[in-house]
Amino acid sequence: MSTNGAVDLPDEPAGRVQAILERVVEELGVEARIEVDEGDEEIVGRIEGDDVGLLIGRRGQTIDAVQLLCYRAAFRGRQDRKRVVVDAAGYRERRREAIERQADRAAERSLKTGKEIELEPMSPTERRVVHQHLKDRAGVETFSEGEEPERCVIVAPLLRD
Amino acid sequence: MRELVEFLARALVEDPDSVEVAEVEENGDLVLEVTVGPDDLGRLIGKGGRVANAIRTVAKAASAGSDRRVLVEFIED
Repeated sequence: MSTNGAVDLPDEPAGRVQAILERVVEELGVEARIEVDEGDEEIVGRIEGDDVGLLIGRRGQTIDAVQLLCYRAAFRGRQDRKRVVVDAAGYRERRREAIERQADRAAERSLKTGKEIELEPMSPTERRVVHQHLKDRAGVETFSEGEEPERCVIVAPLLRD
Repeated sequence: MRELVEFLARALVEDPDSVEVAEVEENGDLVLEVTVGPDDLGRLIGKGGRVANAIRTVAKAASAGSDRRVLVEFIED
């Protein structure tokens, strides 16, 4: 494989995701295996290795950036788009659990204090996890405030008459 | 670093052959100037600069351990 930028990418989306992940992993000097699976609704790229912290980045910002670039490059000029998920060493699941715990704590505090609780800034996907997790929780509502990338979820007590 | 940014930029545009990346040294920083045709500039920048920022984030991760900052700029051809 050529090491310059003038590499021809495959045409189909999953192949393009694979090629981009291989290139990024190589440039970051991360020792990792890459597996790309395509389903009906999404393409999932999994990166497995012992030291993928650099690839994930602070608050997942690097892996989220890679995920966005994979999506854009995979479906450039195409209408038949699917979601693209890039995961590394189970990060997405760990992160979802952490967000749900934060959401639970915020809901409890909001109910106890009667005040709005602001969560840390999150990506749109992560904010959706909070909204979804708390949507049937009695006594609180959720909404988002602020501008990307600092936009965050507010957990607020429902007003009672 | 230049090769990575060029690879990503080419993957994102309709006309990969129009992509050029120049390396410029500025106040001790490495500046990568990505030049692309007018139709493709929007694809590289994205809504609210999301795509441009994603390229910058990946470039920054790839330069971890280096003492030079890497800046990526996008210029219309």
